[in-house]
Formats: sequence, C-alpha cells, structure tokens
Amino acid sequence: MDSKGARLKGGSLLLLLLLLVSNLLLCKSVASLPICPSGAVNCQVSLRELFDRAVILSHYIHNLSSEMFNEFDKRYAQGRGFITKAINSCHTSSLSTPEDKEQAQQIHHEDLLNLVLRVLRSWNDPLYHLVTEVRSMQEAPDAILSRAIEIEEQNKRLLEGMEKIVGQVHPGIRENEVYSVWSGLPALQMADEDSRLFAFYNLLHCLRRDSHKIDNYLKLLKCRIIYDSKC
Amino acid sequence: MEWGRRGDLDSRRPQKKWRNLFRICLRKMRLLHFWKQKSEPLIHFLQQDKGVNMRENAVSTVASVLLLLLNVSLLNGQSAPGKPKISKCRSPEKETFTCWWEPGTDGGLPTNYTLTYHKEGETLIHECPDYKTSGPNSCYFNKKHTSIWKLYIITVNATNQMGSSSSDPLYVDVTYIVEPDPPANLTLELKQPEDKIPYLWMKWFPPTLVDVRSGWLTLQYEIRLKPEKAPEWEIHFAGQQTQFKIFSLHQGQKYLVQVRCKPDHGFWSEWSQESSIQIPSDFTMKDATVWIVVAVLSTIVCLIMVWAVALKGYSMVTCIFPPVPGPKIKGFDTHLLEKGKSEELLSALGCQDFPPTSDCEDLLIEFLEVDDSEDQQLMPPHSKEHPGQGAKPPHLDPDNDSGRGSCDSPSLLSEKCEEPRANPPTFQTPEVLEKPENPETNMTPTWDPQSVGAQSPRPSLHAGGSKSSTWPSAHPSQPGARSSYHSIADVCELAVGPAGPAPATLLDKAGEDVLKSSKTIKTRPEEEVATQREMKSFPSKTGRDAAWLLPQEKTLFISAKPVDYVEIHKVTKDGALSLLPKQKENSHRVEQLRAPDTSKEYAKVSKVTDNNILLLVQDPRAETEALLEDSAKEALPSLEQNPAEKDLTFFTGTPSNCRVQLGGLDYLDPACCMHSFP
Repeated sequence: MDSKGARLKGGSLLLLLLLLVSNLLLCKSVASLPICPSGAVNCQVSLRELFDRAVILSHYIHNLSSEMFNEFDKRYAQGRGFITKAINSCHTSSLSTPEDKEQAQQIHHEDLLNLVLRVLRSWNDPLYHLVTEVRSMQEAPDAILSRAIEIEEQNKRLLEGMEKIVGQVHPGIRENEVYSVWSGLPALQMADEDSRLFAFYNLLHCLRRDSHKIDNYLKLLKCRIIYDSKC
Repeated sequence: MEWGRRGDLDSRRPQKKWRNLFRICLRKMRLLHFWKQKSEPLIHFLQQDKGVNMRENAVSTVASVLLLLLNVSLLNGQSAPGKPKISKCRSPEKETFTCWWEPGTDGGLPTNYTLTYHKEGETLIHECPDYKTSGPNSCYFNKKHTSIWKLYIITVNATNQMGSSSSDPLYVDVTYIVEPDPPANLTLELKQPEDKIPYLWMKWFPPTLVDVRSGWLTLQYEIRLKPEKAPEWEIHFAGQQTQFKIFSLHQGQKYLVQVRCKPDHGFWSEWSQESSIQIPSDFTMKDATVWIVVAVLSTIVCLIMVWAVALKGYSMVTCIFPPVPGPKIKGFDTHLLEKGKSEELLSALGCQDFPPTSDCEDLLIEFLEVDDSEDQQLMPPHSKEHPGQGAKPPHLDPDNDSGRGSCDSPSLLSEKCEEPRANPPTFQTPEVLEKPENPETNMTPTWDPQSVGAQSPRPSLHAGGSKSSTWPSAHPSQPGARSSYHSIADVCELAVGPAGPAPATLLDKAGEDVLKSSKTIKTRPEEEVATQREMKSFPSKTGRDAAWLLPQEKTLFISAKPVDYVEIHKVTKDGALSLLPKQKENSHRVEQLRAPDTSKEYAKVSKVTDNNILLLVQDPRAETEALLEDSAKEALPSLEQNPAEKDLTFFTGTPSNCRVQLGGLDYLDPACCMHSFP
C-alpha cells in the first residue's frame, strides 16, 4: 500500500520534471541547449557515467577488432594481396560519416549520436553471422572466434548504452531505425577458399575501421558534452 | 685507339656524352667492318683450311663484340634507377601525416623521385603536395590533404636519364599510423613536506600538436628514471595523468627522468629529453633519527617479551600449545573408577533416569531384535532348559546370558533370531535410537514384540539379571545379533568406560556365575538375581546384560539404569508375579540402588504403560517380584509410589497355562502370553 503510494508520487514527480524539462528545452535556443535541465543533478551524474561506460566499451571493442584483424591477417592473408581488393567495400560506407577532425567537430552532437547508433545497428547482423561462420571455418582459431563472440556481446551492450544516452540527451525524439543492410553473408559461405577468406578479411577490415570511428566519435562527444571540451 | 681517350670525353653533359659515345661506336663499327673487309680474302683463303681457322674467327668476333660492350658500360656507368621503397608513414596527431621512402640505386644519374597517390574510392591521382617540410625523401600531407578512415594508395617513382622505376604501392590508413611527439616541458621538483617523506614530483605536458582537449586523441604516459650511474631504468606507467610522484629515492644521487606517451590506438612516442635532478644528502639525518628511534623501540619490545617469557613461560607455552585433552565424559570422575565405586561413577555419569538419556543413544550402533518365529523355535529348547528355580540352565554358549529364552543370547540370536516381527523402528535401527524419544513411548512398542517374542521362546520372566535380560528389552536382530550384542556391549562399555569393569567386579564380588545385574550406565540399584545360566562371559557382557535389561532400544540399554534383578518367585493365581529380590552380595549396591530397602518386592504389576511396558510395584505383601521391565525403570521411582494396582492384562487368562514354574526363578512362557498381547 505504501509502496504504491510512493510509486504514484514518484510517477507524478517524474511527469512534472519531464514537463519542466520540455519547457526549458523549448524556451532555450539550440546553441546553448543544456544536456540536462538545470537542477537535475541525477541527470548530470548519470550521463557522465553512461558516457564513461560507453567509451570504455567502444575502446575495448576496437582493441578486440584490431587484434582479431591482425591475427587473421597473419594467419590467412599473407601474400594474397587482399588489401588491394578491400577498397571501398564496407557496407557502412553509405552512411555519411565525418572524415576528419574539423568535420567531426562541426557536426551537431545529436546528429553524431544518431550516426553512432546507426553504425552500431548496422553491425548487429554481420557480427552475428561472423561468429557462426568463423566457427565453421577450418581450424577456426580460438583467438579469432573468442574475440568475435566477445565483440558481438559488447556491441549489444554498447547499443543499449547509447540508446540510454540518446534518451537522456535527446529525449522524446526517436528516429526511425536507420542502418545499413549487410549482404555479405553469401560471400562468407562461398565454396572457393580464396574468395571466402577474402570475404572474411573484408569484414574484419571494415569492423576494425568502424569500431575505431565509433570510439573516436564517442570520445569526442564525451569531452564536448561532459567536460565542455576541456578533457 | 679510342680506349685511352676516356678521359677526353666530356662526361658532364649527357648530350655530349651520347654524341661521343655514338661517335665511338660508329668508329668501332667502321673499324670492324674495315677489318672484316680486309680479312675477307684472307678468310676465303683461310677457309680452305677449315676447322681451326673457322673457330679462331668466331672467337675473335665474339671477343671483339664483348669488348665493345664492356667499353660502353665502363665508359659512363649509368643505368636506370633502382626501385625505391616507401619505408614509413606516420602521423603525429591524426590530422596530418608524412611518408618517407628509401631510394634504390640511382644508376649513377641524378634521379627524380615523385610520389603519387590516390584515395580509396577516388580515381584521380594526386601528387605529393609537400616534399620539403619533412626533410629529404619525404612527403608531407597537411590537414587539407589528410582524410581519416580512408585508404591511401601511395607510390613513389624514381626517374633518371636511363629509365625509371616505381615502388610497390603502399596502402595506408592514417587511423593506424599515429605516433605522437614526446611529451613536452618535463619539470622535476623535490618536495619535502614537514614530517613526511620527501618525494620527487614530476610534471609534463602533452605534445604541442596533439589535441587532447577535444578528445580527438587520448594519451597515456609512461615515465622512467634512474640514478645517473645506474645501468637500468625504472619504468612507471602513469595512465592519463600528467604528473607523477616518486618516493623511494637514494640520497645524494643525481636522478635522470624521461617521459613518453601513446595515443589510445597507436604507437609509443620517443622518450623525451632527459631531465635531471640532484637529491641532496641531508635526508640522512632525518633517516638516522628515525632508525635510532625504531631500534630503541624494538629493543624495548624485545626486553619486554623476554621478561614475559621468563616469568610466565610455561603458561604461555600452554597457552600457545594447549595440552591435548583426554577423553572426558561429562560428569564422569575417573578417580571414582580407580576407587572402584561404580555406583557413584555411574551416577555421576547421569544415568539416573529411565529411559536412558541421549548420550548412550548415540553410541549404540545396532539393535537387537527378536523374532516371533525364532522365539517359537527357541521356545522348545529353552523351555527344557529352564527346569526350575535355581537350576542352572545349561550353558548355551559362552556368550549366553541368563536371558536365554529369547534372542538375548548372541549365539541364539545369530542362529535363530530373524528380523523381528514388528519391531518398532526405534528398536531396530540405530538412527532411531538417536531420536529423542520418550522412553515410555519407546518402551511400549518395543515391549510388544519383545515381550511377545521373548516370551514365546523364553520360559518366563527372567528374574535375575540374566533373566531380566531375557525380558524383552533389546533383542538383537538375527544376523548381527551377536555382533550387535557385542557391539552394544562394547559400545556401552566404551560409554561406560571404566565403569565397565566396575560392574564386572561387582558382579564378581557377587561371586557367582550369575551376575545378572548387568551394569548399565545408569546407576540403579542392582539386585543380583541368581540365574540358572552361567555367566562366564558375563563381565564382558555387562553391556549386553544391560542391553537385555533395557526393554527399549539400545539407547535405553545404555542409558538405562542398572537393572534390578529379581527372581520371580511365583505367579499368583490372579496373575501377579511375585518376585524375590536378589539377595546376595550386592546388598551394598542394593542399598545404593533403590532408595528404599534392600529387599524389595515387586509383587504387582502396576500398569502397562503406553509402551506396553509392565510397571511393577512393590507389593509389601508379595514376597518378591520380578523386575519385569527394565524400561520401566524410568518409571520405577514412580513405580514404587504407584498404587499397587495390578495390570493383569498381561497375565490374566494365562497363568495356568503359562506358568512354567513358579517360585524361585520363574520364567514365564511368553508364548502363552503372546496372544494376550495387543
């Protein structure tokens, strides 16, 4: 009984807070838009923690991707000249991402957040298939398989965290789930060993690059949002 | 001719060189032709002489050609350039980058190097925007020309007069080639806070080019230091902080310190320039005082400890190494054993009440069972063996106790005793024994089979100790009967401990073959009842006797009070048993036992308790009463006070049939009474 009453009270308070926040947001200009409404201490603290956690995850995922790519390159791709063919072959290249620091700093943080979400979502499917296909590889090296599994798991967590952050930074507006479709599964399952290996190489190469992008963008966002560009 | 004129040739200008070379060649060719013309007639002439002459001709031709060629090459030593190689590309801040290449052989001619590239996804080929900034054989890409997360395909071309060659293309992504400059402005400071240890505090700044504030790059640092003369560096990882403290410093030494950094996904920078600092030697004074204080304190502590040990060494030793305690039974005084006072001993053990307490219950392992059929079997022989009062029953076997008509005796039990009919679980299993049971309630179930079983084979109530033991108390189950019996005995002996021999001695004091008063742990006044059985092994079986005596499970057995052994004098017409107390040398014990007088007569059965235990009361008018029920001992104190009401349910209706022999030692044939039992 008491808990119910407390819950009701809490719910009404939350509603009031939301109304207040939305009012504040509407009143203020975009340039000086605060991430958290003034006075809401919980929001400040939790956003910092969310970002810290997200950065840790993205850093970890890129480390794993890097190691996985290097391992694969060393074992399977020596002397095959795969790099010459892996040009412009990532499925996420259709997403227009900033290509240097100036571009990244000019983009608005909401757009950058959404971009990160899109890239993350685009990798859900490929990661899943990567794990299954690596397993079925001949002499599937444990170093690669274990990392693939770990990356898939951490990617999901990062996606959840990012959705929470977006919910806090940009509440209310929920864009359509835009992401790039990956259609490289048939290539991963080809009978020709060389083609199949190249398909893996390409996927790992793109994964390494995209995970670095996400890591970089998140670190930029964190310094900009949480520390006001004074990291 | 022209060979010696090599020096005349002007090799400075390539055009002139070529012209000269051409002229030389022409001359030589004309010469050769001339000589060939000249030598044609000779050849013709010589051809007439074939073989040797022909060969000589060929050889000379070849040789001249070779010489010509050699001359040409020796003349200028020029060739196309060798293949260059792009050695390294690096970016100091992930916003610009530089590529360096190594030239191949230049072929002796000035070689021009150009770098061309195109980006991933573009077709347009660009040339290096800046050859100068990064030094010779380098190409610097500024911010405008640098894209991150994009592959660059870079090639270096070397060109000279003789030809050109290209390097292998290099695929470069600026993302993965970041190697920053070393950190800048490393400062060292020796801090000496009051009353604290002095430490070296160092501070530095990120390299100037790297943008850390916006988060574009995240740097991690590492410092290393060593005394100037030391051979090895001491390395410390500093994380993302830009300062560090060192505490373990040697006095009077000069320290060298360096720092380097690494971006989050890149290469370590070079070590910064050495910074040095001199640690003054005045720390030694402070250290010395500290050491003196420490030494004094430790001396004092040692002295105290020595003094304490000297004074109370032994007690400390016992404190640290406590003596291993011997086995001890609560309330049990070993000294009493030595004196041979078993009653006191056993009373001290707390075996006062009936039913027995839990102590013995835990020790009992097996349980004695009595089976009806066996009893039946046992009956006939036993009935013969109990001729009458006072007659010694033939010794059935060494283990035989007086309680023979039932499965008491181990030998009998092992042979004939089967699983008891409906023995209550408590009776049968040791686990049950450990249940905290109401002894009376226990008695009842145990009583039934026992009484029925025991009595069927056994002639009568066993008035004596052994007789009483025939009374259905603990009937071991068949196979393990003997062993269980023994085990019970052993267990009880263990439990009883030194008390074991005491009863034995007591029994011995009794001095007869029949020391029926088996000792249980409980101290009860024992009345030795003459039994017809030999009790050779009785002393060793005191435990068993006790087991016999206890109607209940072994728990009862062990914890039961010492049985009162009485002789069944007779069975009166109304079914009451008249019992004679055993009046023998255990009189003194008798005194200890029942509070009342030594000659106790249990002439009446007061009642049958819930456990189907017969409670006997002393009937002043009856001469003797057999102690029918050991389990009733618990109620015995109350028994004595109970009104002497007869419970004739057990006996009525059967006296005439059941009475085997009345008077003296009587064994009531339990078989008769079996059916009367519920």
